[in-house]
Amino acid sequence: MAAAAKQAQQLARQLFKLSVVDGVVSADRVAGVLEYVEKHAPAHSVLALKAYHRLIATELAKSEARVEHAGAVTAPALTAIAAAMSRKYGRPVIATSVANPALLAGLRVRVGDDVYESSVAGQLAALSLSV
Amino acid sequence: MLHSLFLAAAVEAPAAAAHAAHAAAEPGLAEHFGLEWKYVLIQAVSFIILFVVLYWKGIKPTIAAMDERTQKIDAGLKYAEEMRAQLASTQQQTEAALKEAQQKAQAIVAETQKSSKEFADKQQKEAIEKATSLISKAQEAIELEKKKMLAEARTEIARLVVATTERVLAKKLTEADRASYNESAARELAGV
Repeated sequence: MAAAAKQAQQLARQLFKLSVVDGVVSADRVAGVLEYVEKHAPAHSVLALKAYHRLIATELAKSEARVEHAGAVTAPALTAIAAAMSRKYGRPVIATSVANPALLAGLRVRVGDDVYESSVAGQLAALSLSV
Repeated sequence: MLHSLFLAAAVEAPAAAAHAAHAAAEPGLAEHFGLEWKYVLIQAVSFIILFVVLYWKGIKPTIAAMDERTQKIDAGLKYAEEMRAQLASTQQQTEAALKEAQQKAQAIVAETQKSSKEFADKQQKEAIEKATSLISKAQEAIELEKKKMLAEARTEIARLVVATTERVLAKKLTEADRASYNESAARELAGV
C-alpha cells in the first residue's frame, strides 16, 4: 500500500511538471494530461489523480490573490494588489474579491498559504494579544 | 634447769659421801629414819637417765613442735598482716577505680547531654529551615497565582474591550468609512 502511494505520488509529480509552462498552469496541458490518463489508465490512477489535483490546486492558489474585504473595494485597488503580488511572487497573480464583514473594515489578502492583512479586526486582535 | 640439777647432784655427791662416813661412824638422823644413800644415788642416777630420755624423746620434740607452731603462727600473722595491707591497697585501688569510673560516667553524661542539646538544636534549625522553605514556596505559589489571575483578568478585559469595540465599530462605521479604510489598506498592501 505504501509502495502504491509512493508510485502514485511520483506519477502525479510527473504529470504536474508536464502541466506547467513558464511557471503557470496551462489549461491545455492539464486537458492533455487528463486525456492521457483516461486513455492509458496507468497503475493506481485514482491515487495519482488525487495527488495531481492537490498539486494543481496548490499551484493555482499561488496564482490567485484572494482579497477579503468589509465594505466596498474598488477595481483599481484590486488591480494594484494583483500587480504588487505578481511582482512579489514573480508570476502572474489574479486578484479575486470576497466579502468578509467580520473584518469590520479593511482587507485581507491570501496568496497560497501566505496572508497579508490590513483590517480593523486584525488590529483589534493584535491589540488583544499585546495586552 | 637440767644443768642446775646436775650441779646440785655434783655438789651433793661429796657431801653425801662425807655424811655417809660420818653416819657410818655414828648412827645419824638418816639412819635413824632408815635412809640409805646408795639407793638415793641410784634413784638420782635413774632420775637423771629418765630425765635425759624424756628430754631427748619428749621435751625436745615438743619444744620443736612448739617452735614450729610458733613459726607457723608468726607466718600466719605475717600473712594476715600482708593480707590486711593488700586489702587496704585493694580498697584504695577500688576507691580510685570507682572514682575514675564516676568521673568517666559524669563525662559520658555531660557528653550525652551536650550531644542531645546539639541534636535538638539541629532538629530545631532544620524545622525552622523547612518552615521557612514552605512559607517561601507558599508565597511564591500565591504570587504565581496572583500573577496568573491578573493575566487572566487582563486577557478577559482585553477580550471584552475588543468585543465591545468590534460591536461598536460594526454599528458606527459607515460604508464611506469602510471604503476609505479599504483604499488605505489597498495602498498599504500594494506596497508590500
